[in-house]
Amino acid sequence: MSLLRITHLPSGRLLSAILHHQRLLPSIIPLTVPKRAVIQGEYKRPGQPRKAKFPWKKINFNFSKGLEGIKKHFTLLKKEFTDRWVGPEGKPIVEHMLEQNRAVWEFRGPESLGEWTVSSDREIGGHSEAYLKLGRNNNTCFLYGTLSSTPPRDGETRYSGYCTMRSKQPLASFDRKKHHDWSSFNTLHLRVRGDGRPWMINISAETYFSHQKDDIYCYFLYTRGGPYWQDVKIPFSKFFLTHRGRIQDDQHPVWLDKVNTIGFTLGDKADGPFQLEIDFIGVCKDYAHTEEFAYEAYKRNPEV
Amino acid sequence: MNPYILAILLFGLGLGTTITFASSHWLLAWMGLEMNTLAIIPLMAQHHHPRAVEATTKYFLTQAAAAATLLFASITNAWLTGQWEIQQITHPLPTTMITLALALKIGLAPLHAWLPEVLQGLDLTTGLILSTWQKLAPFALILQIQPSNSTTLIILGLASTLIGGWGGLNQTQLRKILAYSSIAHLGWMILVLQFSPSITLLTLLTYLIMTSSTFLVFKLNKSTNINTLATSWAKAPALTALTPLILLSLGGLPPLTGFMPKWLILQELTKQGLAPTATLAALSALLSLYFYLRLSYAMTLTISPNSLLGTAPWRLPSTQLTYPLATSTALTICLLPLTPAISALLTP
Repeated sequence: MSLLRITHLPSGRLLSAILHHQRLLPSIIPLTVPKRAVIQGEYKRPGQPRKAKFPWKKINFNFSKGLEGIKKHFTLLKKEFTDRWVGPEGKPIVEHMLEQNRAVWEFRGPESLGEWTVSSDREIGGHSEAYLKLGRNNNTCFLYGTLSSTPPRDGETRYSGYCTMRSKQPLASFDRKKHHDWSSFNTLHLRVRGDGRPWMINISAETYFSHQKDDIYCYFLYTRGGPYWQDVKIPFSKFFLTHRGRIQDDQHPVWLDKVNTIGFTLGDKADGPFQLEIDFIGVCKDYAHTEEFAYEAYKRNPEV
Repeated sequence: MNPYILAILLFGLGLGTTITFASSHWLLAWMGLEMNTLAIIPLMAQHHHPRAVEATTKYFLTQAAAAATLLFASITNAWLTGQWEIQQITHPLPTTMITLALALKIGLAPLHAWLPEVLQGLDLTTGLILSTWQKLAPFALILQIQPSNSTTLIILGLASTLIGGWGGLNQTQLRKILAYSSIAHLGWMILVLQFSPSITLLTLLTYLIMTSSTFLVFKLNKSTNINTLATSWAKAPALTALTPLILLSLGGLPPLTGFMPKWLILQELTKQGLAPTATLAALSALLSLYFYLRLSYAMTLTISPNSLLGTAPWRLPSTQLTYPLATSTALTICLLPLTPAISALLTP
């Protein structure tokens, strides 16, 4: 029945008409409405997919996947218990004492790519592209794509053109967060082959308690291009503190006992293709490097 | 930090502990404890570092919870018995609550989880203040309330020694190791509390001296990790030779000072008929001894990989004061023969 006819119904029949609303279906809006955001549409940032699905349509029940997940988590839990018998972090203490170099990320197979997240300004509606694949002989990782600094047309973004590759936070059993403990080391060692573009290395430490979620310690990585590999050693004392991309006044060195992620960002305002090949990312202990922090080493507020 | 502010904060720390020592009313004692907490918070957060902020937040939340429980328990006691005197607390419910609140304050197991993380986020000086000075005021209250329920205290004590031993086994960070050692020592103190409070006081004082010397050794070496300790033989060889003695004293081996409290506690426990408890406590001391030995192994008994060219750095005189380290090290190593005099001093 159409809306016009419903309004002319006597009240008794109106009630039964509402109760048997299937008859009303073809002509009027259904009485069970999805939420307003779905109908009217919230402001949708360009570049974000439309998520107008009812909640029950989002369930994806898969029994075998669930079993696999349970097996994986319990295996990790058992490993955590048995690792304690060997030593801290599953390695004997002698190894901790003697360790001077540790390759944290080595790209030797397809599963190593799963530890990294690649994103670009496509998320805010830009036109850059970034992809990650294994390099030649499955021995390196290859980050490539195109940068485009055309800002998205949403009225509020002025600059654009970046891409980033960030490691995923290590997880213990049942998706609990773990941290990298690099306190025995003082230098970051990378073997990269770039195309001459200036990249930025971002280290993110644990920020749950300081409520400064976007505190990132950064330093530059100048790639030299060319067919030769480049060994880059950056001491951790050189990393400076930024928050949402802005360098902070109150600087402090990065504490290495709870490092969450490391990332590489490219945003050099030069449109066009880019590529970065990484062989490994490791940390090492340079006994000759005694600098504690490279910035703000003078006394602030000296007494006069 | 601005020296005036530092002076005010240190004065506040001292005043808080003194107020708690001098008080006979629960509200005044609680006030002293709160002053201690509030005075140390800026000291902990002075470096504006995320980890320092994390440590400060965790410390504040646990200490505030403990102080609130303490206040609640003393008010409950006042309501039930009409008494505000610290030494007149007799009703079992407030007594248990106050024991648990003070256990949270000092970091006894099972209320110990905050201590390793908090100590890890602090620099060594503030960690020293936290491990030593901040234990005095709660202990002043614990010694006065004479809790009578033996089960709670024995459980707290045994759990602390065991957890302090086991937890410290897999650590490479020195501050976390010292936190677990602190938990273990506090467990020993609580074990003997109801039988002989003077031995508790003795254990507390020897623990303060031993922990101070350990923290000062690490401060001098500027080391926060076992690996950094491994290079100290080139910088301060005499200290590297003495540190195993300090660590073994913490572990409670004769003929060093640390043996004195353990010996007296085991003797007292056996006299009271708690031989299995004494055995369990002595065995758990072995766990702690393992990680102290591991520290001495890494520092003194092995030489870390190095090149021969880098063996002899300049041994410049230290810019830090070494008198406190010298005094506390001497006391840590040599005090055992004075046991009769010291126990006579502490027994009323």
